[in-house]
Amino acid sequence: MSGDLIPFLQNVANGLLIGGVYALIGVGLTLIFGVMRTINFAHGEFVVLGMYCAIVFNQALGWDPYLSLVIALPAGFLVGVLVQRLVLSIIGDAPEESSLLATLGLSLIIANSLLLTFGGEPKSVLVPYASSTITMAGEVYISVVLLLAGVATVVAIGGLYLLLNRTEIGRAIRGTAENRLGAELVGINTKRVHAMVFGLGTMLAVAAGVALIPLLFASPTTTGGVFTLKAFVVTVLGGLGNIGAAIGGGLLLGVVEVLGASYLTSEYRDAYGLIAFILILLFRPQGLFGRTVQRV
Amino acid sequence: MNWNAVGIALMLAVGVVYPFILPGYMTVGITILLFVGWATAWDTLGGWTGQVSLGHSFFVGLGAYVVALGQNRYGLAPWWTVLLAIGAAAALAYVWGRITFGLRGPYFTLSTIAFAEIFRLIAINEKWLTGGATGVFIASLPEPFGIDLFSRWTQFYLALAFAIVSVGLVALISSRKLGYELRAVREDENSAMAAGINPTAVKLKAFMLSGALTAVGGGIYGIFLSFLEPHVLFNVLLSVQIALTAIIGGRGTVWGPAVGAVLLVVAGEVFRTTFAQANLLIYGMLILAVVLFLPRGLVGELSRRLVRRRYARSIKS
Repeated sequence: MSGDLIPFLQNVANGLLIGGVYALIGVGLTLIFGVMRTINFAHGEFVVLGMYCAIVFNQALGWDPYLSLVIALPAGFLVGVLVQRLVLSIIGDAPEESSLLATLGLSLIIANSLLLTFGGEPKSVLVPYASSTITMAGEVYISVVLLLAGVATVVAIGGLYLLLNRTEIGRAIRGTAENRLGAELVGINTKRVHAMVFGLGTMLAVAAGVALIPLLFASPTTTGGVFTLKAFVVTVLGGLGNIGAAIGGGLLLGVVEVLGASYLTSEYRDAYGLIAFILILLFRPQGLFGRTVQRV
Repeated sequence: MNWNAVGIALMLAVGVVYPFILPGYMTVGITILLFVGWATAWDTLGGWTGQVSLGHSFFVGLGAYVVALGQNRYGLAPWWTVLLAIGAAAALAYVWGRITFGLRGPYFTLSTIAFAEIFRLIAINEKWLTGGATGVFIASLPEPFGIDLFSRWTQFYLALAFAIVSVGLVALISSRKLGYELRAVREDENSAMAAGINPTAVKLKAFMLSGALTAVGGGIYGIFLSFLEPHVLFNVLLSVQIALTAIIGGRGTVWGPAVGAVLLVVAGEVFRTTFAQANLLIYGMLILAVVLFLPRGLVGELSRRLVRRRYARSIKS
C-alpha cells in the first residue's frame, strides 16, 4: 500500500473504534429522549460513575475493568431506575426545561460527591494489554484496548436491538415512545416503562465508561461534562430520538475528531464536533439521518 | 409606595457601610455583589425572556480580558476598556443571537454551551490573542484621583455600583414596555407575534443587554483577580453557577437573582471547610429542591403567596 494511505486507514480505524463508544453513550441519551422527552444533562456523569466503578474494583481487588461490568451494569440500571422514580417522575409532564435543570442538578451532585470521596486527581486503570496491538491488512495496527471497546459496543447495541425488537418489553417501550396515551390505553404501564428506559440508558452509559477507562484518565468534575456534551453532539448529529442515527452520529464524530486532530490542529479536537453540532442544529435540525424526529 | 426603589436604597445603604462593619469579609462581599449583578443580567434573558443560557461565562471572560489586555498591551485605562467590552459584548451577543434564536427551548440552551465551549478553546489556543493557557497578569493600573484600583475597598464599591445598576435597570425595565414585551415572548411567541411584537428583535435586545452587563462585571472581576486564566474565566461551570443563582432565587423577578446570590455565596462560604472544592454540591442540591418543590424559585414562590394572602384578605373584608 502507498505511504499516505496506511496512516489514513490507521486513523479511520481508530476513529471508528472510539466512535463506537461515543455511539454507545449517544444511544443511551437518545433512548431516554425518544421515550421520555427528558434532556438528560447527567448522562456524562453516569459514564464517569462507570469509570470509577472499574477503578475501585481494579484497585481493591485487581479486577480487569471488563470483569467489573458484572457489578457495574446492574448497579447502573438500579441508579437509573431510582433517579427516575425519585426525581424525574415527580416532575412528570412539566416543560422539558425542568428535566434539564433537574438532571443538571444531579450531575453537579454526582460529580462533587465523587470529588469528595476520591479526591481531585485524575485516575485510570492500567491493564496488562494496554500497549498490545494486532495487525490488520498487513500494516494497520489496532490497539487491543480500542478493539475490546469496539466489541463491547457491538454487543451492547446488539443486545439493545434484540430487547427493543424481539421482546414484549421492547414492544411496550416502542409503543410508549410512539404515543404515551395510546400505550396507556392498551394496558401498558408507562411509568414502569419510563423507569426501565432510564435504567437502560444509564446502564449503557456505565458500560461505555468501563470500556473507556483503560484509554483515558477520569477526573471527577471535568470528565462528565465532556461526555455529556459529546453525547449531545452525537445524538444531534444523527437526529435526536433515533437509535440508528445515534450510532451513525457516534462513528462520524469519532472519525471527524481523529482525522481533524491529525490533519488540521489537535488543539481544536473538541471544537470540530461542536461546530458540526451548531451547523446541524441550524440547518438540519432533524439530524443527518433523520426523517422525522420522533422515532426510537 | 415603590418597593423596588426602597429595596435599592436599602441595598445602597447596606453596601456603603458593609466594608466598615465587616472589613475581614471583603472578598465574600465582592463575590456576592458580582453574582448579584451577573445573575440579574442573566435573568433579563433567562428569566424575563425565558431563554436559558448556559454560556454566560463567555461574557465574564470577554470583559476581564478586554480590560486586562487593553491595559497591558495598549495602556488603555479600565474605564475606557469597559466601554469597549460593553460594545464588544453587545455586538457578539447580537451575532450569536441572530444565529441561534431560531432554536427553541432546550436546543437554544445546548447551542449556548457549544458556542461558549468554542470560544473557550479559542481563548486557550490563540496565544497571540489572549496569551493562551498560561494566563495574563495585570501588573499595573492607573490611579485616578489617587484611588488605588487594586485595593479591595475600591473593588467593593465598583462591584456595588455594578450590582445596583443591574438591579436598577431590571426594575426599571420590568414596568416599561420592553419588560412586557420580554414576558410576552417568554409566555408564548406566537401570541406575542399576533400582538405585533417581533420575538427575535425582543430576544436580541435582552441578549445584548444581558451580555453587556455581564461583561462589565467581568471587567471588575478581572481587576479583582488580577491574574486571568482562560480555563477559570471561560469555564462552563461559571455559566452554570450564574444561571442556577438566578433560577434558585427566582427567575423573572427583580430581586430573585440578588437573593439567590446572597444565599449561595454565603452558603458556599459557610460550607467551605466541609466541601472544599466541591462547593457546587450546594448548587446541585438546591436546584433539585427548587425544580421539585418551588418551581418559581424562592422569591417567585414567596411573592405568589403574599399576593394570594392579600387577595384572600381583600375578599374577606
